[in-house]
Amino acid sequence: MMKNIRNFCIIAHIDHGKSTLADRLMEKTGSVASRDMQSQLLDSMELEREKGITIKLTPTRMKYNYNGEEYVLNLIDTPGHVDFTYEVSRSLAACEGAILIVDASQGVEAQTLANAYLALDAGLEILPVINKIDLPSARPDEAKKQIEDVVGLPADDAPCISAKDGTNIDLVLQKIVTDFPPPKGDEKAPLKCLVFDSFYDNFKGAVCLIRVVDGRLQAGDSILFMQTGRKYDVTEVGIFNPKMQPVQSLSAGEVGYVCASIKSVSDVRVGDTITHQSAMADKPLPGYKVVQPVVYCGVFAADGAKYNELKEALLKLKLNDASLQFAPEVSQALGFGFRCGFLGLLHLDIITQRIEREFNLDIITTAPSVSYKVLKTNGEELEISNPASLPSPVEIDKIFEPIVKASIFTPPSYVGAIMQLCQDKRGEYKNMVYLDAGRVRLEYRLPLGEIIYDFFDKMKSLTKGYASFDYEMDGFAPSNLVKLDILLNGEKCDALSLIVHEDSAYTRGRAITEKLKKIIPRQLFEVPIQAAIGNKIIARETLSALRKDVLAKCYGGDITRKRKLLEKQKEGKKRMRQIGSVEIPAEAFLSILKLDDEK
Amino acid sequence: MMGIYVHIPFCESKCIYCAFASFVRDENFQARYFEFLNKEIKNCNFPDREVASIYFGGGTPSCVSEKQIVKTLQTIKSAFHVLPDAEITIECNPCSASLEKLKTYHSAGFNRVSFGVQSLNDKMLKFLGRRHTKAQALAAIENAKRAGFDNISADLLLGLPKGDIQNDAKILLRSGVKHISAYMLQVEDGTPLKNMVESGKVKLPSDDQTVDNYQKLTDFLQKNRFLQYEISNFALKGFKSKHNFAYWTGQAYLGFGLGAHSFDGKYKRFSSADNFEDYFTGKQNVEKLSPSQRDEEMIMLGLRCDAGFRLDALNASISEKPIFNKYVQDGILEMSDGVIRLNSKYYNVSNSIILHLID
Repeated sequence: MMKNIRNFCIIAHIDHGKSTLADRLMEKTGSVASRDMQSQLLDSMELEREKGITIKLTPTRMKYNYNGEEYVLNLIDTPGHVDFTYEVSRSLAACEGAILIVDASQGVEAQTLANAYLALDAGLEILPVINKIDLPSARPDEAKKQIEDVVGLPADDAPCISAKDGTNIDLVLQKIVTDFPPPKGDEKAPLKCLVFDSFYDNFKGAVCLIRVVDGRLQAGDSILFMQTGRKYDVTEVGIFNPKMQPVQSLSAGEVGYVCASIKSVSDVRVGDTITHQSAMADKPLPGYKVVQPVVYCGVFAADGAKYNELKEALLKLKLNDASLQFAPEVSQALGFGFRCGFLGLLHLDIITQRIEREFNLDIITTAPSVSYKVLKTNGEELEISNPASLPSPVEIDKIFEPIVKASIFTPPSYVGAIMQLCQDKRGEYKNMVYLDAGRVRLEYRLPLGEIIYDFFDKMKSLTKGYASFDYEMDGFAPSNLVKLDILLNGEKCDALSLIVHEDSAYTRGRAITEKLKKIIPRQLFEVPIQAAIGNKIIARETLSALRKDVLAKCYGGDITRKRKLLEKQKEGKKRMRQIGSVEIPAEAFLSILKLDDEK
Repeated sequence: MMGIYVHIPFCESKCIYCAFASFVRDENFQARYFEFLNKEIKNCNFPDREVASIYFGGGTPSCVSEKQIVKTLQTIKSAFHVLPDAEITIECNPCSASLEKLKTYHSAGFNRVSFGVQSLNDKMLKFLGRRHTKAQALAAIENAKRAGFDNISADLLLGLPKGDIQNDAKILLRSGVKHISAYMLQVEDGTPLKNMVESGKVKLPSDDQTVDNYQKLTDFLQKNRFLQYEISNFALKGFKSKHNFAYWTGQAYLGFGLGAHSFDGKYKRFSSADNFEDYFTGKQNVEKLSPSQRDEEMIMLGLRCDAGFRLDALNASISEKPIFNKYVQDGILEMSDGVIRLNSKYYNVSNSIILHLID
C-alpha cells in the first residue's frame, strides 16, 4: 500500500542532532528496544561517531500508527559532506521528504543551507524541525525566522523538539505522515530500482540498497543493472529493521536491499537502475554518474616490512567502498606502497584513519595531488596523479589541470574576503547572486589543485565557518604548471615533489624549505634543504648539525631504564624515513600542505 | 668477581632537580632500614663471592650515622670475600662529611670518596637546593685528604643557568681531586626544576651552549692529564672508577637497598622495589634479557666509554650494516683488534649513533 509509505531523510548542519533524532524516532516507533539502544545507532562506525558525520548510509524501516492506520516510515540516512555529494544526491532521490534540523541555539548554518538546497533541487518536501529546545540558550523563534529568511522555507509550524530528552518526537512522526507525500510509482510497470548505496557482507556478498520506483522485485528474479550491463539472479530481498530482515518481495515505493551473489561492491554503481532481464524498463532512472577519484596520495606503511598488511587493509576497505582506488607505487624515499584515489579530502582522511585504527597499521601519506593531463612534445598523452612521475619540462608541450565549478554561500559581509581568496587561488569569477538579505551565492571556476591545498581551511577561518562551499568537476584547462622538487643534502626526495603554478613556485618553495627545517630533526652533519624547478634552485635553508643527544648517566647500575628509553626511541624511529643520508619524520610528507599555520 | 652497590636513600633535604629514590626520614626509620639492609646482605646467596668494588651511593650516605655505614660495610666483608685491593667508595655531601666522619670511613676500609660538589658558584648551589657552599666543598676535600683519602672524586653539573664550570674544574684540580664526573643537568618529570622551567621562572642554557661548555671542559681536563674514559667521567691515570666501569663493561654487580639494581653478568637483571613498603617485603623485579636486548646493552654501554665493545661478543653481527661501515669509514667509530669504540668527539651525540646501530 503505497499511500501508507513515507520515504524520508534527515539533513542538518554538523552537530545539530541528526543522529540523535534518528535514534529517538526508532525508539518511539519501537523499531529498536530501549535497552538495545546504543546511542546513535545509525552512525555505526566508530570513526563516524567520533567525527559526528555519517559516511556509510544505513537505512531503517519503522512502523507508526496514525489515526488508526499503520504507516511504514523509511528513514534513509545521508552522508553530509561535499566529498559524497553524488551519494547524497542518490539518497535524496530515493526520498519524498526531508527533515531539516536546525539547532535552536545555533540557528541556520552553512550546511543547513547547502543541504536544504540539495533537497529542494531533488524536489523533496522539507519539514523544518527546531532541535535542542532543552538548552538554556535555545531561541526557537529566532531559528524559525532564520529558516524563513535565509533558507526561504515557511517555518511557522516547525515542531520544536528536544531529541535528547524526547520532547515532541510524536509531533515529528505525525508530520512525517501528514506533510510528506507518499511515493508515486506503478507496481504493474516494468521494474525500476534506484541503487543508492551498497555494502559488503561476508556471507551475502555485495548488498545493494535500493528504492523500488516501479514494479516488484523478489528472490529468484533475473535482474539487469542498466548502466553496467551486469546480470544477476536475486538470492534475497529484504528490509532494514534496523538489522537486515528478508521479505517476500519489495514493490514500488519501498526501500530495502537486494542480494544477488555479487562478488564485490566494485561491481555495483551507485545511481544505477535495476530492472528485470525479461521485462526491461525502457530507460534507466536519470542522474547516473560514474564517480571518479579527484584526490590522490601515496600511502606507505611506516614500517616498510608491513607492505602486505597495508595491501590487505586496502583490499578489505575496498570491499565496502567502491570509490576507493589504489595501485602499487614505488618511492625512493618511502619504499613500496600504493597510490590511492579518493573522492575528496575527507574521504582521504577517513580511509587513512581507518587503516590506522581498524588494521592497526602505522602509515605515512604523501601530500594530496589531483590528476593532470600532460601532452608531451612527442604527441603522447599522459595522465599524471603523482607529481614524481611528471616528465621533465623539455618533454612537456602542455599541462592541463582539473577545474571545478564552485558555488559558495556566504553572508554578504564576507563577500570581499572570499573574492580575494578565490583570486589568490587563481579563480575565475562567474557570478554573484543575492539570495536574500542574509545570503549571497558566489560562483567561481577554480583549479581543483588549489582547493585541495588549503582552500577549505582558509575559507572557514575567513568566514568563521558561516560560508558553505560546494563544487562539481568542470573539465580541464591548460595552465603554467611546474614540478617543484625538494632536495635534502643534494638528493631529490620524490615523495616531497609537488606540481604548482609557476607564479606561486617561489613562495611555496621558500615556505616548504622553511617548514622542513623546523620539522626535520638535526642530523650528525649539516643538511642543506633546497627547493628546485628542474635544475634551478629557487630556495634554500640549512639545517645545522646536531649538537646534543646523549642519555643521562646510568645511576647505580640501572641499565634497564636506559635501555627502555632507547627502545622507545627506536620504536619512534620507525616513522623516520631515510633520504640518502638524511632521516626525515613521516609528518614531513604531509606537513608541506599546512604551510600557513604559523604565519 | 663483581661489584656491590649499597643504596642509602636518605637526604637532609631534596634538591630541585633530583628524581632519585631519596627521602628525608628520621633516625628511627633509618635504623629500621639499615636493619633490613644488613639482613638483605647476609641472606644474599649469589654464587659469586669475590668482590672487587663496593660503592655506597644515595641519597646522601654521609648524612646518616657513620656507625650504620661502618656496620653495613662490615656485614659485606663478612658475608663476601672482599679482595684486598678492592675499591671502596662512599658518596658524601660536602656539608655533612666532617673530618671525624671521614676518618671513621677511612679506618673502616673506605678508600675512595666522591663529593657531590655540583658547582663552585654559591648562587647556583643555593638555586639547586644544595646545602653546602664553595668554601665547604673545598674544606671537605681538604678534610678527606687529612683523613687519609688519596682517591677523591668530585661531581659537577653542566647546563646550569650560571657559573663557570671550567673554572670550577680548575679549582678542584688544584685542590687535589683525582677524578671528575661532569653530568649534564636533566630536567626530570615531577621535579621542582621541571615546574620552574615550564613556567618560565628558570631559563636553562640551550643545548648548543651546554655542549660548548662540555667540550671546553673536556679539552681543559684532557690538557691537565685527565683521561675521558666515559661520556661524563674523567680521571688521572690509575683513578678510573672501577665500580662504575664494571657497569659499562657488563660485569656482574649486586645492588642492596631501596631500588638497587643487580646484574648477573649474563642475561639477568633484577632490582628491589623503589618504595619502602614493597622494599621491606623483599619484593624484586626480575628481567631476563633476550640476546638482542643484551646486544643493545653492550652497544649502548660500550660506546659510552673507552672500553668499547667486542664485535665478537655480540649475539647478532652488526658489521654488515651499511650504517656501521659508514660510521667506521667516517671515523665516528674506531675499530682496533675487534673492539669498537666511539670517537670521543662524538660523545655529545652518542645517543643518535647508538640508535642507528641497534636499529
